[in-house]
Parts: sequence; C-alpha cells; structure tokens
Amino acid sequence: MHALSKYVAKRLLWTLPTLLIVAVMVFFLVRMIPGDPAQLILGDSASPEELANLRANLGLDQSVPLQFLYWLGNVLQGDLGHSISNGASVLPLMLDRFQVSAIIVLVAVALATLIAVPAGLIAAWRQNEHVDIAIVAASTLLMSIPSFWLGLMLLLAFGLKLGWLPVVGYVPFTEKPWTAITYVILPVVTLMLIEVGVLTRMMRASAIEILRLEYVMHARAKGLSERKVLLRHVLPNAFAPTWTMIGLVLGGLLGGIAVLETVFTLPGLGRLLVDAIFARDYPVVQGCLLFTALIYVIVNLIVDLCYPLFDPRVTAS
Amino acid sequence: MIRQPANLVIGSLLLIFIGGIALLALFWTPYDPAAIKLISKLKPPSAQFWLGTDEFGRDVVSRLMTGAVQSMTVAILTVAFAVTAGTITGLIAGYTRGLVDRILMVFSDALLAFPGTLLALGLMVISGPNKYGIILALGVAYSPSVLRIVRASVLSAREREYVEASRVIGNSEFTTMFKHILPNCTAPIVVLATSMFGWVVLAESSLSFLGLGVPPPAPTWGNMLSAARTYIEKAPWLGLAPGICISLTLLGINLLGDALRDRFDPRMEQR
Amino acid sequence: MKYRSLLKTTAVMALLAATADTAMAQDKMMRVRINADIRSTDPGVNRDANSDAIVLHMVEGLVGYKDDASIAPLLAKSIDVTADGKAYTFKLRDGLKFSNGEPLTSADVLASWQRYVDPKTAWRCLKDVTGSGVASVTSVTAPDSSTVIFTLEKPTALFLATLARTDCGGTGIYHKSSIDAQGKWVKPVGTGPFLLQEWRSGQYVQLAANPNYVSPGGERTGYVGDKTPKVSTVRFMVIPDDAAAKAGLYSGDIDVISDLNNADVEELSASKQLKVDKVASMGLTGLLFQTRDPLLKDVRIRKALLLSLDIPQIAEALTNGQSPANLSVIPVPSPYSGKVQKDVPARDLAEARKLLAEAGYNGQPIKWLATKFYPSLFDAAVLVQAMAQEADINIEIETLDWATLLDRYTAGNYSAMSFTYSARLDPSLSFDMVSGNKDKSPNKVWDNPEGLKLIAESTTISNDKQRQALFDKLEGMIRADVPLIPLYSGTRIGAVRANVEGYKTWPVGYPRMWGVSFAAGK
Repeated sequence: MHALSKYVAKRLLWTLPTLLIVAVMVFFLVRMIPGDPAQLILGDSASPEELANLRANLGLDQSVPLQFLYWLGNVLQGDLGHSISNGASVLPLMLDRFQVSAIIVLVAVALATLIAVPAGLIAAWRQNEHVDIAIVAASTLLMSIPSFWLGLMLLLAFGLKLGWLPVVGYVPFTEKPWTAITYVILPVVTLMLIEVGVLTRMMRASAIEILRLEYVMHARAKGLSERKVLLRHVLPNAFAPTWTMIGLVLGGLLGGIAVLETVFTLPGLGRLLVDAIFARDYPVVQGCLLFTALIYVIVNLIVDLCYPLFDPRVTAS
Repeated sequence: MIRQPANLVIGSLLLIFIGGIALLALFWTPYDPAAIKLISKLKPPSAQFWLGTDEFGRDVVSRLMTGAVQSMTVAILTVAFAVTAGTITGLIAGYTRGLVDRILMVFSDALLAFPGTLLALGLMVISGPNKYGIILALGVAYSPSVLRIVRASVLSAREREYVEASRVIGNSEFTTMFKHILPNCTAPIVVLATSMFGWVVLAESSLSFLGLGVPPPAPTWGNMLSAARTYIEKAPWLGLAPGICISLTLLGINLLGDALRDRFDPRMEQR
Repeated sequence: MKYRSLLKTTAVMALLAATADTAMAQDKMMRVRINADIRSTDPGVNRDANSDAIVLHMVEGLVGYKDDASIAPLLAKSIDVTADGKAYTFKLRDGLKFSNGEPLTSADVLASWQRYVDPKTAWRCLKDVTGSGVASVTSVTAPDSSTVIFTLEKPTALFLATLARTDCGGTGIYHKSSIDAQGKWVKPVGTGPFLLQEWRSGQYVQLAANPNYVSPGGERTGYVGDKTPKVSTVRFMVIPDDAAAKAGLYSGDIDVISDLNNADVEELSASKQLKVDKVASMGLTGLLFQTRDPLLKDVRIRKALLLSLDIPQIAEALTNGQSPANLSVIPVPSPYSGKVQKDVPARDLAEARKLLAEAGYNGQPIKWLATKFYPSLFDAAVLVQAMAQEADINIEIETLDWATLLDRYTAGNYSAMSFTYSARLDPSLSFDMVSGNKDKSPNKVWDNPEGLKLIAESTTISNDKQRQALFDKLEGMIRADVPLIPLYSGTRIGAVRANVEGYKTWPVGYPRMWGVSFAAGK
C-alpha cells in the first residue's frame, strides 16, 4: 500500500512537466495561427486604429512571452481568465460544458466496452468461424463510418422520419432528468457504435494471442472447461491491451467529440473548444486545452494503476 | 470455415483493386474530375455518369478515382510516419525504462493530451494548407498511441523467459531488442496500424466537416463525404459512393492486417 | 358604491377572460435558430450579427429602419433639422416606459449617449459620430424632458442612418439600471417589445414579452411601427450546424430560421409543414483583387479575368437561382441601383485572351483565397477557377478558415480572394466599404483619389438626383479599374413552421419576433 501511494505521488509529480509542456505548446501554437479576436469582433469594416485600440484593450499588444508569463501566473493562482467573445469566466464556463461531454463519453465508452469485450472474446475463441466473421465484419463496418455521418443518419431516422426523439437542443440532467435522456440517447448511441468497432478488434486480436500461449493449452490439457479457460485465463490477460486502448479512447474523445456535439447541438467542451479556435478566443482555447490535458493525464494514471489488476506480469514499479 | 489464406486473398484483392484504380487515375479518368458543367448538376447515376454528378456537375466516378490517389497518399504516409516514429520511441522507452523513458513519456503524454483538431489546425496553418500539413499533423498526433502500445508490449515481453535468456546468453541490448522484443510487438502494431489507416481517412473527413480538412478542390474521399452532407436527401449517391469506398478500403486493409499478423507472428511458426 | 364594485368585478372578469384567451395562444414558446452564441447584450459593443438581432428586440433608439432600409422615427415622434443641416431636434414620444416601468426622458437619452461616446465603452460607431467618420457631433442638449438636440460640426446626409445602424446597436437608449455602480454592463433595460429572461451560454438566449411595452401604433415595418409582442416567450437557440437546424425545423423543435441556405429553398418550399419567405438583401459577395500584387497590378489582367467569367451563370449557381448577378457595389434593392448599376458585361474569351497577351501573361499561377465557412465563397472560387481556365488563366485555390481569411483581408495580404461584405444600407457606405487609401487602410481594395473625393461629396448631398449622378459616375470609374468583381447582393430567405403567423423576412435580414404568433388551434 505504501509503495502504491508513493507510486501515485511520483506519477502525479511527473504530470507537472507534461502539463507545463502542454501549456507552452498551447499558448504559442494558438498565437502562431493567423487572425486575431479583435478582427473577428470588428468584422469587415474595421479601421486600423479601431483594431489597435481593441487589441490594446484585450492586452494583445504586449509581447507574446510577456502575455504567457502573465497568463501562467494567473493560472497558478487558479484564474483562467475571461472569454474574449462574451466575457464569461473561463473556469465555470468549462466545467459547465465538461459535464455534458463527460456524461456522453463515459456512458458511451462503458456501453461499448460491455459489448466489445465479450464480442472480441467470442470472435477469438471461434476464430475464422461464422460467428467470428460476422463479428469482424460488423466491427470493421462500424469502424469505417464517419461519426458525423452516422450521427446524421440516426438523427434523420429517429428524429425526423420516426419523430421519436428531439432533433436539436439540450436539457441539463439536473433540471428534467427524463427529458434530458431523450436528448443524449442519439449521441451516446452514435459514439458507442463507433467505439465498439475499435475495441472489439483490439480485444479479439489480443485474445487470439493469448489463446496461442502454452499456459492456455496447459489449462485445456488439465481438463478445464472452455468457459473457465476463457474467463479465468484468456479474459484477464487479453484485456490489458484493450484497457490501454480504452484509456486512449477516453482521453482522446474530449477533443474528438466536437464533431458529434456539432451534429447534435450539444453544449459540450469539444464544441466550446472548436468555436473558440475559430473565434480566436485565446483564454478559452488555452483553458480548454489545459483542462483536457489534465483530464487525459488523470485518466491515464487511473488506467496505469489498474494495469496490474489485469496483467499479473507487470508490477507497478 | 475460412482457411487462413482467404484473409490474405480477399484483403489483397480489395487493396490491389483500389490501388489499381488510384494508379489508373494518374493516367486516365472518364471525365476531367475538375470540369464544371452546371447544366448537368446533381444528376443521378446513369449510363453517361455511372455514379451521377455532384453540385457542380462534376463526374463522381472521376472524382472518386482521383480521390483514391489523394486519400491513399495521405493515409499511407501518415501511418508510415506514426508507426515509424512511435515504434522507435516506444521500443526505446519500454526497453531502457529509467529517465529516457520518463522524458519520452512526458512528451508523448503532452502530445496525446493535445486534441488532434487544434494540432491539425495549428500545424496546417504553419505548413500551409496542403496534404503534407495534414500528414504531419495526424502523424504527430497518432505516433504517441503507437509509442504507448509498443511500450506496453515491451514491458510485458521483457519479463518473459526468452528475453531473459537472450540477455543471459550475452546478446547485445540492440539484438535483444530487435530480435526478441520487436517481433512480440508486431501483432499490436499491425492491428493498431490498420485501425489507424481507417482513422486517418475518417479523421480527414471529420476535419473537413469542421472546416479544417485537406483543402478542396483536390478531391479526397473525406471531403467528398463531408460536402455530400448538404445534399443528403436530394442526392444520396454523393455520400454513398465515397462512404462505400472508405469502407471497402478499410475492410481490405483490416483483412490483410489480420493475415499478415498470422503470417509473421513468430509463435505461429513454432507450431 | 355597490354598482361601482359590481362594475369593477365585471371589468376584472372581462379582462381576465380576455387575457386568458390571449394567453392560450401566447403560452407556447417560439423558438428561433441562431447559428452562434451572442457576444454580449451591450448594444453596439462587443457584438456580431446575432448579438445585434437579439439586442434590438430589447432596446430602441431615436430612429430605426423601415422594411426598405429607409429611416423613420422610433423613440422620437418628430425630427426637425435646421436649414443648414447642422442641428437635429428630436421630440420624444409621450408615455414611453422602460421594461422596468420607469418613464423614459431626455435625461436617459443623454446618459446613454454619454456612455456611447466614452472611449472606454468601445462603442462600435464612436468614430462615426466624433469626427473621423461620417459625422462629428459637437453637442447634445436636452432643453426639456422630452426634447433632445444634436448639433453637428457640418451637415451630412448620413447622420440619422448612422444612429439607426444595427451594428451600432441602433444607438439604443437604455435605463441606468442596465449598468452597475462600477459602470459595468449588466443587462439591457430598454423600451423594446421584449426583455432579457435568461442567457445560457452556448445554448440559448431567452426573451420574455415586455409588459411595459408602449406601442406608437402604425404599420409594423423594419424596426418601427407597432411592435407589440404576441408570444410570451421567445427562445433564440444556438444551432451551429445548418443540417441540424433544418432537421429541427422539420421536426418542430424550432419554429423559425431567419437565414436559410440558397440550396435548401427548393426542398423546403415543397414541404407542407413549412412556409418560406424570401427577399433581396443588401450585402455583397464578390471577388477582390490586390491591385498592388506584382501580377494583378496590371489592370488588363484583372479585366481579362472579368471577361473570362460568365457572371450570370456563377450567380445562378451560387445562389441556386435566388439572386440575379449584380456587378455594382450598390445592392439590387437600393433605390440607387439604376440602369448603369444593373449592367452586366457579357463573357468574351477572345477579348480576355487578347488582353492577357498584351499584358504578357504567361500562365503564372494566381493564388486565390477562399473559405468553407461561407460555402458560397469557396464555390465561387471553384467556378472562377474553371471558367478562367478556359481563357488560360491559371488559378490555384487556397482554402483557409474564416479568421485567417479575414486576417489576410484586413492586412491586404493576398492576390485575389472571394469575400463577402455585410449589408451597407446607403450607397455612400457601399462605396466607402471598398474604397480608401491603401497605405492607411490596407483592407480597402479601391484606391483612387478622385473616387475618394466623389464618395466624400456624396455623403454631404441630400438631393436624390444629384446623388444618383455621382453614383453613376463612380460606377463607371470603379468598373474601369476592376479592383473587385461584385457577383451578387444576395437573398435573405426565412423559413417558419406552417403554424407561425406574421413572420416577415426583410432586406436587413435579422429576425424580428414582435407581431409574430402561433396560429390558433395548433
């Protein structure tokens, strides 16, 4: 137990340089992109003096390294600044949007895992038989559909043609839980279908690996039932790479979900970020990316901590 | 029950077919893929235009063929970039452990933690909006995934007896790494690389959807698909054609990936 | 006593019955699509088109637009201009009340004006009323509680038009409680038909009918006339994706889309569930050239490009036949768009090739900037590329995101680009939008000293005939220089659910939700 907490502390310490690198990358990358918020606010009729005035008001007339230090100083004090677009404080804005994305991502990935693990295991066990071919074909198909395309199709089918579910809008769970569910069903299902393909293939591939190992043959030779062999010996070992994949998927989705949030008009973190990039809303972009990075680091720490649970060969050291 | 080579045969045939179309497109297409003919816009498939025409009256078949070249180039180069960079760093990180590993992991975490959309936008703006920008952006964004998978496999492989044995025999670190550890990573790398191939094609279309993809007018399957969205009800063939092309390619590459893994997996031969 | 109380009860009953009756129709919320969140509710400060559209439901200025973009009194009941054109006397309407029930007096006009002209406020139109732009206001006084006098340094034809501008927030007058003790903007407390109920970032802005709205009566047109709200609540929903918005309209999740894509008109018009309404708008979509570009500085090459294009066909393709080609910077609906402005030169490939040969053009690539943010700008580039190729002009398209394109536009850093300007409601402003000294304002495309003088002159003249003559002359000059090729002025297309009554699309284009209601029985 002591070793574990020491490990966690050490890992957390190592996330600091990661976050610092992210902070530096974010800040300078964002400012290397041409265009600035002042121009977007003033539009096509802006005069050079007006632009200069607004830039000065926004503090954009200072040198970039100076702006960076100023920003970093505030971040360390827990102040992420205010949106240039609408003046909202970045931290509450982000947390508000994050709930929406987090619910969808977590539910979708959990459901996808519940489907992918047994499906991949069965496919590997019955490799090259009809079940396997069906599972591989289905997961390959799911992997080959762009998420926005699938989302739009589901929207057309269930929202428009059948009229079962609302097409646009969002209601927070805290207000009307049942209505809220109707708004998130389609995005969750879309995301789940997309992720099921990837996870199933990963699970199947690693299960096939394990099935070929000697100790599985030993187990079989010992006369253990197939059920026991699969559940006790194959599943835990084969799950390790899939687990890593889930970590990657979870961490990466917050950035990638922007597309779905656009199709389904959900006020999530991904869309906040993409809108902010297009509006060159620097404080929001910086805040969102730093926050996403933090979430990613935490998710991966949890994944790594769980690793020894599935793969007995790796010790947490 | 399908015999092992069936994977290989079907997969290769599909890829040869698509590769062949791409090669053919370098020399010949039924129509000029950029020729605009507004009188015949949004025409459904017919004897004249096999897969119909798009919103500018351009022939969909010709655009699909030219798109194959673009999409294949982007996907192959991106995957090659990510796999090479990721494998090398992953091997080093997993094998050496210690400080080098830590530093590599910090950087890979920073990259992974960075949503691909911004990385793509940023890098594409810096390199100019062209397909090399997107290759660089997606390649950089994906290589840490390879790194992590390779590192995980190495960590688990280096505990195995034969790696220990190789070291005891007195093989150099380098030999041990490439002869005994790398082959153990091939399966996850191949699986990941084939998935990644699909991701690249899809990511490119998602970026197009958000307005950041390979800039048209050069057709790619991704930007054809995202452009077709507007006409989803009026002209469904516009979306179906590139969609099916993407799916067929992915099916081919996945089948081939499975077959290759079975072929090259060292433990297969032992049996 | 008894009678009186009976009478009172009856009156109350009748009133209750009446309100109950209207409440039936009003109870449902009207949902309107906006394509991005608003920036603020501060009129003319940190704004964009969506912000203007919403804030103008809540505040009103002294004057406002009518449907045809001409100016009419709004909070004023009369406007007197002295013979020298320098003093404007506004008489305020009687009985005006803010949404919080407080009366509006000339003191509120002065207070709002003071805040507008304070540079710290960063009002969008500051320069237009303080000298460097259209007008210079030297003093504003209030001789009594219902009179305000604006005095200008010199006469201008555009003073009232500037006050009414939507991007100036209509120079809306707000109550002092709109601002907190520190001088920070809180929310608009105005005289408009609606008041702010809730703004949920990234989701919606919800307005409620203003119970204290006082109607001036008269026909509902533009931002003036009878603006009585007929629904209790209006929710402006942020829906960035066009396809999702369209689906929402079909499914009944939204009731009004004020700005539809040209490509969707045919399909939506065919639906029985919807009503589509369109009108020519006053923007400008066109092709800009950098006249200082090493290649394009040669007017013959620019002219050849113009001649290589079949502009009616481009306009037809880009707008799906909704807007005619318009090669003038003056938009089609403007009363100043006459014969000279409506002329469209025919395509002439032979002449184009001849001009290119004279200029010594030899297939050098021309980098053409476009963005997918506005699909028509990208499509325009594709069409131009294909047509110009027939005259052996080699165009390479570079697709950028909107902010980058705007940056290149502002800096004048491009050879050629497709661009779209927002609406300018007066021809002088239309010319001003493209003309200027490139050393001072690199975003301007037409730098012609004589032209600039004529444009300045056009802002001081009020006589229609004299102005028309000036604009005709300018038209000839700008067409000879070809610093840009306007393509069309655009069409504003609105669509509503079939049970929505009273919604009207207009050239300025912003949604207006007063006077709009749900049909009974649905």
